[in-house]
Amino acid sequence: MRGQRREQHREQHREQHREQHRERGSALPAAVGALCRALPPRARPAPDTLRRARFDRPQASLDFWKLLYVLLKQIHGGRWTESDAIGAQVSFVKWALWYHGYGRPQLQRLPADGSAGSRELLLAFSWLLHSPGLLEQLLARNRVQPGDQTSVCTCGDELPSSQEGTSEAGPEERVDVRYLQWLNGRLRLQWCSLHAQHQEQCKLWYKIHLFTSGSHMDQNLGHFSVTETDLIRQPENYKQLLQLLDSETKQLEAFLEWKQLEPVYWQWMETVLDNMAEEGNMCESQNVHVEKRRLPEATPWAAKLTGQMDRLSRDLVALQEHLHQLVAQRKAAWWEKVATREELQKERFSATARKIQESTELKLRGLTSLCAPKKKMHGLCRLVLRSKHPAGRMGFGQCGSKEAVAAVSAAEVITELQVREASLQRELQQLRQQCRHRLDGIAEGLEGVICISP
Amino acid sequence: MFCLLAEDRPSPKELEELELLNRALEKALTVRKSILKTPLETRGATGHKWAGEAHAPKKAEEQQVPVSVEDVPECRNVKAGSKKPLLLKKPSPYQLRAPYRTDPDVKKLQRKVPAGCVSQGPRTAGKISSKGMTSKQGRSHRTAAGASGREVCAAAEPQETPGLSESAPNEQQSFSGGDSAAGKNSMAAGKQLLDAGKKSSGFLAESSKKEDTACAWGRSITPGTGTLQEKGCQLKLPLPYRKAYSRNSRAWERCRLCQTSADAAAARTRFMERIQTTFCSLKLTPSPAEIEEELRGLQDVPSRLRQYVEAEPADPSTLQEEYESLLTLEGVQTTVSQCLQKLQLLQEALESQLRLHPDCTGDVGSCCPACVPVRGQMCDSADMLAVPLLCYSSLQELRDLFALKLQVSMLHQEIALQKVMMAELLPVLEARPLLEGSAGLFRAIQSQLCEGGRRFPVLVRDELLD
Repeated sequence: MRGQRREQHREQHREQHREQHRERGSALPAAVGALCRALPPRARPAPDTLRRARFDRPQASLDFWKLLYVLLKQIHGGRWTESDAIGAQVSFVKWALWYHGYGRPQLQRLPADGSAGSRELLLAFSWLLHSPGLLEQLLARNRVQPGDQTSVCTCGDELPSSQEGTSEAGPEERVDVRYLQWLNGRLRLQWCSLHAQHQEQCKLWYKIHLFTSGSHMDQNLGHFSVTETDLIRQPENYKQLLQLLDSETKQLEAFLEWKQLEPVYWQWMETVLDNMAEEGNMCESQNVHVEKRRLPEATPWAAKLTGQMDRLSRDLVALQEHLHQLVAQRKAAWWEKVATREELQKERFSATARKIQESTELKLRGLTSLCAPKKKMHGLCRLVLRSKHPAGRMGFGQCGSKEAVAAVSAAEVITELQVREASLQRELQQLRQQCRHRLDGIAEGLEGVICISP
Repeated sequence: MFCLLAEDRPSPKELEELELLNRALEKALTVRKSILKTPLETRGATGHKWAGEAHAPKKAEEQQVPVSVEDVPECRNVKAGSKKPLLLKKPSPYQLRAPYRTDPDVKKLQRKVPAGCVSQGPRTAGKISSKGMTSKQGRSHRTAAGASGREVCAAAEPQETPGLSESAPNEQQSFSGGDSAAGKNSMAAGKQLLDAGKKSSGFLAESSKKEDTACAWGRSITPGTGTLQEKGCQLKLPLPYRKAYSRNSRAWERCRLCQTSADAAAARTRFMERIQTTFCSLKLTPSPAEIEEELRGLQDVPSRLRQYVEAEPADPSTLQEEYESLLTLEGVQTTVSQCLQKLQLLQEALESQLRLHPDCTGDVGSCCPACVPVRGQMCDSADMLAVPLLCYSSLQELRDLFALKLQVSMLHQEIALQKVMMAELLPVLEARPLLEGSAGLFRAIQSQLCEGGRRFPVLVRDELLD
């Protein structure tokens, strides 16, 4: 009991300390409140949680773990349910923070039952606000879109990765290969029908977009989407959409408020760091190299990444060898030619040579940008029909307001997709070639049978 | 396709009748028609039984005439707030009408556009309908008839949008259960599309029925209350939505333009620097997220470089060309070695980051998601808040885009399946002693692994004639 009262006294002292340090004392609750309201509706903490976490209250730990879990899951596009176990939540949050580059070892050492560490989590939360831009990412990802959406991501992480990894074959251990063939055929059929559906949808979208051109009050869009067109006919079906728009507007306004009051929050966080420094919590950063037993290949993410890197390196090395040969050949031929005509070409050629060098540089400028990471959009985009001739668009085309929209043209995406498709085809062919080799080897072992490949 | 519509299996008699209907339509030429209002706004109970049947012929026609439907249908009635009456007045279902001839007057009406329209919509529509005309006339009768058959379906298509748009809000608002809107994968989206397709095929069936009715009745041209094509550019969204939308987009714009104040930036930087001093010393290397992002950027480089290399002529004619070719190849070579260096750095960075990998107790899968953050690490905060638009300029572009997306997804899946099958099937063959009977197994596995199940090797018994 006395201990508690002493704690309270200490807390009050700290409180006063803080008040003295900050001129605008009452701004902190407003800042924290705005921050909480700027988070998505289903992941909104109570401002008290943050305040309690600041004092490292254990009661706030569970809530904070849950908060980080939900927010990080949203950023990563994963799913969660209310009933996810605390152990899974803790694992995920630790992994996600590691993934984004948060390197505080104390966080990784927090207990897996989520019973402690609210202050550490508060630090992590604040770090996330800046480093991957948590608020902005959440806003962008959860954007209410009354438009016709599609993704432009060429990553190919869209297929659901089955977590089980066990076959769903029947109770017998052996599965007939004909079942496999049949499943494969069905799969192809499904893809075909999906393709047909997509094409159908494209046609319809195009019609709607075309017919409603000029009606939208937003000049950037210019036409309605399917949802909006239906909204005209049956407005009562879309009350929820309006509610979502309104709640998002409120969230955005809270975000603006938060941006105003940000300095207060960061100063507050610094006091947290001050406290921790006083308590001697900070000097553990040196003893890092203790936990190194994790094998890199054990996790699927790491395995996938190392696999990609290996394949990439093989491809590049093969290309390099090929080029080496080619360039050597060409160079030899070139020097031969030049040697024989040296007297004629010397002066004239240096001028043309310089021109050729410049033009090649231009041509190759595209190459250097290849290796630089591009700003890729991974989320959903709204489809907008825009004719290619801005001159014909009366009242549509504003070249000035281009910054307001992150517009990607379908032609660009198509080019990227074509390149992607080519890469993937090559990869598939390489795999198939491997199989062919191995199967040819096996075929020789077949008694009395000759195999003729198609 | 029928496996999707198992519950609406049509009777053989209906199939037969439908076959007749289709053949009749195929023989007919196109008729440009405005649909009468009453036969149009019908959702008959009988429509449902057509769900299964309409699907197959529709697809069949699509395959016959793989031309995009620029024939502009006009049977969509759009009226703000109007409800559709549920009566279906029609003659007996299986009456087939005589073939129709193209009525040029109808086409002209199509091009008449209500005056107030400023947009290009009607203009392009007019152009498109003329295009449709010429394309149809250019073809033989049969294919033109086919086009008219598609016309029916095309005319009916706008009816499908209710089905699609109904499912669209579901897609938008599927935030429950943590399933964020962007978390869809192509399969889930495909499922929704298929559902929509199911619904829409129901509508399609009804309207193809109506088309028949219209054919039966209406060679007359009735403007009706206006079709989407005519009135589309004059439509107005309801006021509450407009208000909500403009408030919303203004708020987004303000957020995008909002800059971090200098105090805030300074205070934040101080905090970040302090906290980073407590990190393990690896803040200098890229984070795992950045590594992944960079790797993603490098993935297509070999293909693109190969394009450059292959674009160079094998035997340049002039000296200049040869010089240029040489320079290009050398440039590509430099790029390749740069990329290799970069890759090396990334590999090392990954290794050192993995040493700090947290213990994934329990379910490893859940803690290592495959999904990636929305805009990657490299994106500017302001960019993230801009309106994400994908602009296309023609129907063909849109269709190509979707076809390619699907192809890419399919290839991803094929590659994953290929790897799994290799791991599972090859050991089966390599382990067992090959008996006589396993030739069939070998054949199946060979076709599956090497030809994607599309072609089969021929196994010939090696018998010497005695």
